Amino acid sequence: MMPDVSQQGKMETEEWRPAENAPVIMFDRVSKTYGRINALNSVSLGISGGVTGILGMNGAGKSTLFKLMMGKVRPSSGAIRLFGVDPWKNPAPYSRVGFVPEHEKMHDWMTAFDFIVTFARLHGMTRDEAAKEASRVLDFVSLSDVMHKRIGQFSKGMRQRVKIAHALVNDPELIILDEPLQGCDPLARTTIMNVIKELGAMGRTVLVSSHILHEIERITEQIVILHKGRVLALGNSHAIREMLDQHPHKIALECENPRELAKSIIKIEEVTGMSFAEENKLLIETKHLGEVHKKLPKTIIESGIKVTSIDNPDDDLQSILMYLTGGSA
Amino acid sequence: MSKTDTIWSQLDRKSTAIAEFTMRQYRTRISTWVVMIASVVALLLVLLFYIEAMNTEIEAIDNDGDSFDTDGDGYPNGQERLEGTNPDSPESFPDWVEPDPPEKWINEDDFDWDILVEGVNYVGSDDDGDCKNLDTSSQRDTNDNNVECDIIVDVDTLNSTVTITADSSVDEDPDEDKYGKEAGHRAFILGIGKFGIVYLLGIFLPLFLATGLIREEISEGTIHYMLAKPIARGEVLLYRMLGYIGITWPFILIVCLVLCLITGFTGPGDGIFRWEDVPVWMSIAWAAMLVSLVYGTIFCGFGIIWKNGVILAILFAAWELGMAFIAILTGGDSSIRYMSVIGWGMIIVDAGAAIGWPDNWQLVEVGLWGGGHGEENWLGDVSYVALPGAEPLAVFSGNPNLGVSNWLAYVISTLVLAFQGFMAWFIGQSIFKGKEVN
Amino acid sequence: MSEDDAANDEPFEPVENKIETYGAEAPVTGQTKMQAAWSAESDDENTTAKVASSKQGQIFEQIYKPWEGTLNPRWMRNWAILRHHILGIFKKGHRPWNIPTRLFIFFVIIASMTDVALALLFGMIGEPTLYDIWGVNRDNLYGHVMGFFPRNILYYPIVAALLVGGIISEDRSHGTSALYFSRPINRFDYTAMKFLSVGLILLFIINGTLAVYYFVDILVMGKGWAWIIDTFPMFLAAFGCGIILSFTYTSIGLALSSISRGRFFPAIGLIAILMGTKSIAAIVDALFDRSLLYIISPYDSVAHVCQALIGTEMTYEHPWVWSLVSIVIMNGLALYLLANRVSSMEVTRE
Repeated sequence: MMPDVSQQGKMETEEWRPAENAPVIMFDRVSKTYGRINALNSVSLGISGGVTGILGMNGAGKSTLFKLMMGKVRPSSGAIRLFGVDPWKNPAPYSRVGFVPEHEKMHDWMTAFDFIVTFARLHGMTRDEAAKEASRVLDFVSLSDVMHKRIGQFSKGMRQRVKIAHALVNDPELIILDEPLQGCDPLARTTIMNVIKELGAMGRTVLVSSHILHEIERITEQIVILHKGRVLALGNSHAIREMLDQHPHKIALECENPRELAKSIIKIEEVTGMSFAEENKLLIETKHLGEVHKKLPKTIIESGIKVTSIDNPDDDLQSILMYLTGGSA
Repeated sequence: MSKTDTIWSQLDRKSTAIAEFTMRQYRTRISTWVVMIASVVALLLVLLFYIEAMNTEIEAIDNDGDSFDTDGDGYPNGQERLEGTNPDSPESFPDWVEPDPPEKWINEDDFDWDILVEGVNYVGSDDDGDCKNLDTSSQRDTNDNNVECDIIVDVDTLNSTVTITADSSVDEDPDEDKYGKEAGHRAFILGIGKFGIVYLLGIFLPLFLATGLIREEISEGTIHYMLAKPIARGEVLLYRMLGYIGITWPFILIVCLVLCLITGFTGPGDGIFRWEDVPVWMSIAWAAMLVSLVYGTIFCGFGIIWKNGVILAILFAAWELGMAFIAILTGGDSSIRYMSVIGWGMIIVDAGAAIGWPDNWQLVEVGLWGGGHGEENWLGDVSYVALPGAEPLAVFSGNPNLGVSNWLAYVISTLVLAFQGFMAWFIGQSIFKGKEVN
Repeated sequence: MSEDDAANDEPFEPVENKIETYGAEAPVTGQTKMQAAWSAESDDENTTAKVASSKQGQIFEQIYKPWEGTLNPRWMRNWAILRHHILGIFKKGHRPWNIPTRLFIFFVIIASMTDVALALLFGMIGEPTLYDIWGVNRDNLYGHVMGFFPRNILYYPIVAALLVGGIISEDRSHGTSALYFSRPINRFDYTAMKFLSVGLILLFIINGTLAVYYFVDILVMGKGWAWIIDTFPMFLAAFGCGIILSFTYTSIGLALSSISRGRFFPAIGLIAILMGTKSIAAIVDALFDRSLLYIISPYDSVAHVCQALIGTEMTYEHPWVWSLVSIVIMNGLALYLLANRVSSMEVTRE
């Protein structure tokens, strides 16, 4: 590869034109493995327009998702399209992307202004254009009064805002924010959330990752829940919650005499149904898992039947949402 | 956005942005300053020894012993021989002249190495007349070339050896101080240039400054800002190297210029300033610049390949150290040096020295010959006593030995180094491009 | 201990209790303390209600008790640090030295025993002239420790560089120094143990193989007492040299490690100091025939003193006492820098 002397990038030459109707982001059965760890498992996604929250616990695959989008890692299988092109080994689409990495480390020795100007020039701007744009975005994140101070002196919230500002300098169509709220105080959170909401209102495609549902719900209703490398749920957050409530839960009990035990369990109000799947196994159906779990031990002890195991076969969605919402789902 | 599309405003974008960023980053690091100050201090330390040596008179030696007055008649032997009286007889002395002071006969027949021309027999000038004064013609022409009182310099290009055969008592009593200063001066420039600047600076600057150029950004996570921009990774590497050059090249150039000025004024010579050293210093600087660029690109590549890339870099530096020794000590006779970076750097220095000091090889040879005095072994081979400074100069001088003219050797080795640098960049960027950055 | 005492002394409530109540109640100890706190203040009737309703949220009175157990003796704590570093070379579960470092140490141990192998070989064959070249004698004992090529250019300095690379600087940059300083370990002990662990690994490589060389020769060649009495002082002198050498390399390396953050700088810095000073001094020696500048080179200073100790032929012209003074000054400076830096080290992630 020879250096691009024209400094224009493939974006502006004849070689590359974005597909007209391509979604901003397209994941087609993408998997990514690190050694024996499955970070992403056959994820298919298409995102265009608006603010989308990517939710998941630590290690759910949020960062891997972003790294794949930013061409930092190569997918083990499947295809990724950013504005219709494969981002691996091709930095061309990034002229339309702003990326806010998760890493705390920044170039502490630079001033916020210099930092943004330097990286704006990597978009092919001249010095003057870059300076103009830098002042604009610093104003947008309301840091214009401290823009000539060194980043090393900034608080965490200010640093996050500098990072966001640097990602906005090229007026991107797609903005990716990896955990932008992590470690910020409530005030900084509010500022950053407002900035993100504003961007969404401006018609940009914004991706925000977080592991706290409430935070995301304050910004957007459109969410993607990742868990163990799979897409667990996708869509409007209220709809997901509602579906979850409607969703019947199962509890599997293993015991010596399931039919005898069923007699006492049926007395629990919230239990809506029971079945005997195999020998020594009792399946309880309910829509109020928590309540049943609270009453179950007492019932079992009173019945005097020895239970060898209690298992929730499909509690994944429940537990992840429990985790994401801080235990109040 | 209005873009004025002159080539300069275009270059004022990505490339200068990263290069400028890299240079400012270097400026904020203490290690950059530590490395530069430490190398300057080390060079100054050596310079002190040089200045002291230049200001110390080298003791004159009466190589042929004619300042003695064997017969005690007040006339030194040399004067008596010149005047044709018997130096061993107290009765025979030249009473028609005043006796010379003995000091006059200590360094009375110096060589004139600067009038040597390659391919022409050097006709030594018998300054003191003790050859011309010999009785028979066969005594005056002991090297049998039918020219009286001359010296044959026989250059055997096949074995790169030089044989000097002089008629007896020609140039037999050289000026040790004059020769030693000149040879010591040149040996210092070549020694400090080849080993101190081209090798040590050339390898330690990149070890400290270039190994982490990409690696530290990866391990600190700050590379993500750069890689999320519409700029190819190969370009990132290239422009980072540009910033690295922006720091190291001026440093090398300044060090060489300062050393050139100091040694140019303190060194021996008739003029105020030794202009003939300038091309040599400049080729040292050029070699060091190219070598540090190639090493820098290679070490930066090692840093991309592996997070402990510094280990590879140290092993590579050890290989280059061996090659540096071979290239210097064999004076350009080994061909394994072509397998290294430093070997080509040394060719540049040798070519530069041959251009700046065309008489250098004669200076070495006459110094090693030393006036033709020495022990003769039973085979009749004489092991000459070298003049002071001749042996270090012989060690540090070399020959480009590419079989082409010096200027062409200069250009060829520059091209080879540039090619090595390009290959290192090319391999480095293709690894970087396929690298998963976590 | 009665059961009540046990309940009070537990800083945390036992896990079994929690399972029995299915987490419906607030932690036992917290609750009792809460009750005590409220009842001591007033007779307000609401207190019990507040305590019981854990869902509404409650604030516990915080009582911090200093730990009053007996501390292990100081040497035992230090031994734990030392062990952590040294055993990391051989097995898992201790300081994770990286694989290249371990491989290189293994290689150096093998490579520095080449003289053992050659001495054995020629001794066994019964080739007296070749055995004289490789067998134990004054020069070979010196050479085993102080030989420049390859031992003090490719083996020992690089091992030292790899060892000191991150030993303190990575603690600083990863913030793991806090793991030490939040325990009853003072900074002197921390530094001393870091120093000892690097020094001992180096010493093991240099002097361990020296001892193997010497004793294998005695055992296999069946040397007599007269020979042992003759050579043992030389062996001791060489052993002492090994100690000085590894001490000097370690102190310079640790000083570099304490002033930097990454792994690169101390490693390259140590090699640059050792090789740079040596090369500069060698240039001056070659050009101007002056050996004095060798006193700035750590390797040459140690080598000079060792030549005096072991009694081999001196290769330097200046008196060896100058080299000795130079070693003392170098180590003093390095240790001062180290002590100064470690004592002012901030226990944060830098």
